[in-house]
Amino acid sequence: MSKIDETVKRESVYIAAFVGVLSVLMQAVFLVAGRWDYTVLCGNLLSAAAAVGNFFLMGLTVQKALGKGEKEAADTMRLSQRLRLLLLFVVVAVGAAAPCFHTLAVIIPLFFPRVAIAVRPLMDKRNKNGDGKEGEGK
Amino acid sequence: MLELAIGIILGCCALGAGSAMIAGIGPGIGEGNAVAAACEAIGRQPESRSSVTTTMLMGCAVAETTGLYALVIAILLIFVAPGMFVNLLMSTIS
Repeated sequence: MSKIDETVKRESVYIAAFVGVLSVLMQAVFLVAGRWDYTVLCGNLLSAAAAVGNFFLMGLTVQKALGKGEKEAADTMRLSQRLRLLLLFVVVAVGAAAPCFHTLAVIIPLFFPRVAIAVRPLMDKRNKNGDGKEGEGK
Repeated sequence: MLELAIGIILGCCALGAGSAMIAGIGPGIGEGNAVAAACEAIGRQPESRSSVTTTMLMGCAVAETTGLYALVIAILLIFVAPGMFVNLLMSTIS
C-alpha cells in the first residue's frame, strides 16, 4: 500500500475538524429547536463520516492520479467521482429509508466540507495577519 | 383510477430523480480536466506539487458539491416526495 501524501492528510484533518465543529453546532440548533432525539445524532454521525470519507478518498485518488499521464489521470478521476457519488447515494438512501436516522440530519452534514472550504481563505488570511504582527513585534 | 394517479406520481418522481442525477456527470468531467491540467503543471514545475495538490483538492471538493445537490434532490424525490404527493392526493379526494 502506497504512503498517504502529507498534503492529503493535512487537508483531510482540517475538513474532519471543521465537520466536527459544524456537527456540534447542528446538534445544538436541533436541541434549541426542541427537535433533538437519538435519530438526529445517528444521522449526523453517519453523514459526517460519509462526508469526511468522501473527501479523504478524493484526496487519495488525486494523489494516485498525479503520478499518471494526463489522459489516464482524467479517466481515473472521473471513475473515482462516479464511484464516490454512488457510495454517497447508498449512504444517504440508507439514512433516508431507515427509521433510526433523521433525514435532515443525514443531508445537511454532506455540505459541511463545502462550508469548510469557503471559510478556508478567511482563516488563511487571519493566520497570515497573525504571523505578520508577530514579525513586526520582533 | 386512484391506482393510475398513484402510478403517475411514482413514475414522475422516479423520472425526476433520474433527470436530477444527470448533473452528477458534470463534476466528474470537470475534476478530470482539473487533474489533467494539474499533472501538466507539476510536470513543468515539480517543486510546486504541494501547493498544486492543495488547491486542486479544494477545487475538486467545490466542484463535487454540484453533484451533491443533484444527489440530495434525487434522494428527496425517491424517498420523501412520493409519500407527500400521495398523501396530498388522498386528502384532496377525501
